[in-house]
Amino acid sequence: MPEFGPDAPTGYLLVAALLFATGVFAAISRRNAIGVLIGIELMLNAAALQFAAYGRFAKSAADPQGQTAAVFVIVVAAAEAAVALALLFAVYRRTRDIDLEQNRELRS
Amino acid sequence: MIALVSFAASAALAVVGALLAASVRNLLHAALLLGVSLFGTAGLYLFLGQPWLACVQVVVYIGGILVLILFATLFSSDITGSGQRAPRALWFAALGTALTTALAAWRLVRGGVEALAARRGGEPVVPPAVGSTDAIGDLLLGAWFAPFFLAGVLLTVALVAAVAIVQRHRRPEVEAEHA
Repeated sequence: MPEFGPDAPTGYLLVAALLFATGVFAAISRRNAIGVLIGIELMLNAAALQFAAYGRFAKSAADPQGQTAAVFVIVVAAAEAAVALALLFAVYRRTRDIDLEQNRELRS
Repeated sequence: MIALVSFAASAALAVVGALLAASVRNLLHAALLLGVSLFGTAGLYLFLGQPWLACVQVVVYIGGILVLILFATLFSSDITGSGQRAPRALWFAALGTALTTALAAWRLVRGGVEALAARRGGEPVVPPAVGSTDAIGDLLLGAWFAPFFLAGVLLTVALVAAVAIVQRHRRPEVEAEHA
């Protein structure tokens, strides 16, 4: 069994780890709220990939529990994105700005 | 060989797209690069033998969430702007946190690979990838019915909440026009 490649779990899990770390970096280093949201989406995507990879390489590949869990992650990501962007619009409408550093609306 | 090359291409698309999405200055480009990364992940799902998941990824993630983010990016003012990047100290803190996370995740990955090998009982042959859309349907309406139902409730609540949040700050004169 090759260590990396389409038929070994290592490659998928490595990609998921890198995606998650990148998401953490984006969520911390961005000042704009949409940039933070992009980081969070990257993290959720990494989580879904992990579920799918473990499901595929578990004892029986025909067992779809991993894929189904990944779909639930995507559903949560969709709900989160809708509510987060609605909040951003509400804040933006009041302040004309969604810069997290300067926005006092979100602090106190 | 072709499989290996296209697998590597999908993985590279996912990782490079994500890295650029996290680092480019223009937010619109960042959102589009997030789409590239999501496409790469969809390719990986195909290699995992999970075409249905790949379709969901493209339809919901790229077609839904990404378009939502793009709309939000276009509606909010200063997308290319001066202050997209964090202060230097925060940037380094973010980099350090990300590297620590990557290391920790790598340890988890190593452990996970070993656990998977142990679960297969040292069998060298990986089971073949099979498409299993029927089985997913059975699972969703069988053993996983409660989470499935709750996911539906969650989506409904999220959508209603999104509409309610946006409407609350409607200006009075607009409301009067609609009344």
